[in-house]
Amino acid sequence: MTRTKILFGLAGIALAYGLWMAFTAPPDALQGEYARIINIHVPSFWLAFLAFFVTAFGSIMWLSRKRQRWDRLANSSAEVGVVFTAIGLVTGMIWGQAVWGIAWDWGDPRMASTAVMFFVYLAYLALRAAIDDPVIRARRSAILGAIAVIQVPLVYYSVNLFRTIHQTQSIRPDGSTLPDEMLVAMLVNVAAFTLLYIALLSARLEVAKAEESAETESVLAGDAVKPPKISEVKDV
Amino acid sequence: MSFWAQAWEVARTDIRIESRAGEVFKVVTPFAVVALLVFPIALGFQLSVVREIGIGVFWALSILFGMQIALRQSAADSLERRDVQALLGVDPAARFTGRVMSATLLTLGFMGVLLVAMTLLYAPSLPDGWAVGLIVTSALMAVGLAELGTLAGELTAGLRNRANLASLIVAPLAIPLVMGASQSLEALARDESILPWVLLLAASALALAVGGVALARPLEEAAQ
Repeated sequence: MTRTKILFGLAGIALAYGLWMAFTAPPDALQGEYARIINIHVPSFWLAFLAFFVTAFGSIMWLSRKRQRWDRLANSSAEVGVVFTAIGLVTGMIWGQAVWGIAWDWGDPRMASTAVMFFVYLAYLALRAAIDDPVIRARRSAILGAIAVIQVPLVYYSVNLFRTIHQTQSIRPDGSTLPDEMLVAMLVNVAAFTLLYIALLSARLEVAKAEESAETESVLAGDAVKPPKISEVKDV
Repeated sequence: MSFWAQAWEVARTDIRIESRAGEVFKVVTPFAVVALLVFPIALGFQLSVVREIGIGVFWALSILFGMQIALRQSAADSLERRDVQALLGVDPAARFTGRVMSATLLTLGFMGVLLVAMTLLYAPSLPDGWAVGLIVTSALMAVGLAELGTLAGELTAGLRNRANLASLIVAPLAIPLVMGASQSLEALARDESILPWVLLLAASALALAVGGVALARPLEEAAQ
């Protein structure tokens, strides 16, 4: 069994356990059953933030070392981060519709800044898709990957910087505002999502490696194989 | 040649090319004024709404068309011109700085024309002390936009869909600039200090300047 399959297996088990804990934790006093969605919403964003920091790390490492593996890491992590951001945005909108009565609130800087972050990384992926040369692609996307990460602390601290209806962080260095059962369920889900992130990243890295070798092989074949001369082609 | 002399020379050349091409003041600016005309028509000529949204439309158009100024075709270097600059020993950081300087000047000129047109067409309701607030925030916004546009222009140099791709990069990253600019006038209207918003603008512009200068050499290589 490959490492990626093992990781997916572990992530599946952890996610099942996390969801079971999320559904068996007591409902919130104010939000009722809707509070359970936080067990997907919050870990998605935490992992998206982690993914974008990994992208920035890979980008900076590529700029300093020029090794292809750092570009693979940056790109793969950005793709996974975009998926987690999309999950976080969608679950947040479902929760907002249920609890606030509105799916998208312009008075909430957290939502607006998260959407901005999402589009910045979509632009990162679009930039990569527009460039064929692997070295130019790596160089340009590394620069954007290193700059784009500035958005992450802005998104995280937006609820502290602006007056907003979005609640501030529930888990802080000085303690948690969540009851113990909800806190444990949330942390188990964070661990499960972390495993899922590692599994997805591992799978994407394998695909990226395969893509690179396919590109190299096609270039080699292109050099080696010459089209036959017209005079040599016989009618069949 | 010192760093600043190189930067000034790059900026001067850009301005001279722009004065001949006329891309900013003969194409982008009239297009932005036409866009100013579209909003009241789309809103059904409701004067009160038009007066209310005037300054917001000004910021939105400043961002959308301001980024086109930094990404203008006349500022896109050909490979040959880049090679000549490299052979002349032009510092990539000075080149970035010079390009930002020229784009800032052109953006400020564009925003000035747009502001006059918006004031005439929309007769917006502005808070007391708006002039100083508007000058400070517009200047910082122009610098930030010029930096962002220059960075995006370098990242997308030579690509087929350069204009769209660069806009996709600039627009979301420009949000702190729009937020700082629009909220500073909102703060004035509420009789609050505009300092936090001016600081947000200044911090964004500074971060982009540091990033642009630090990444100038890889940017130069990336554009080859």
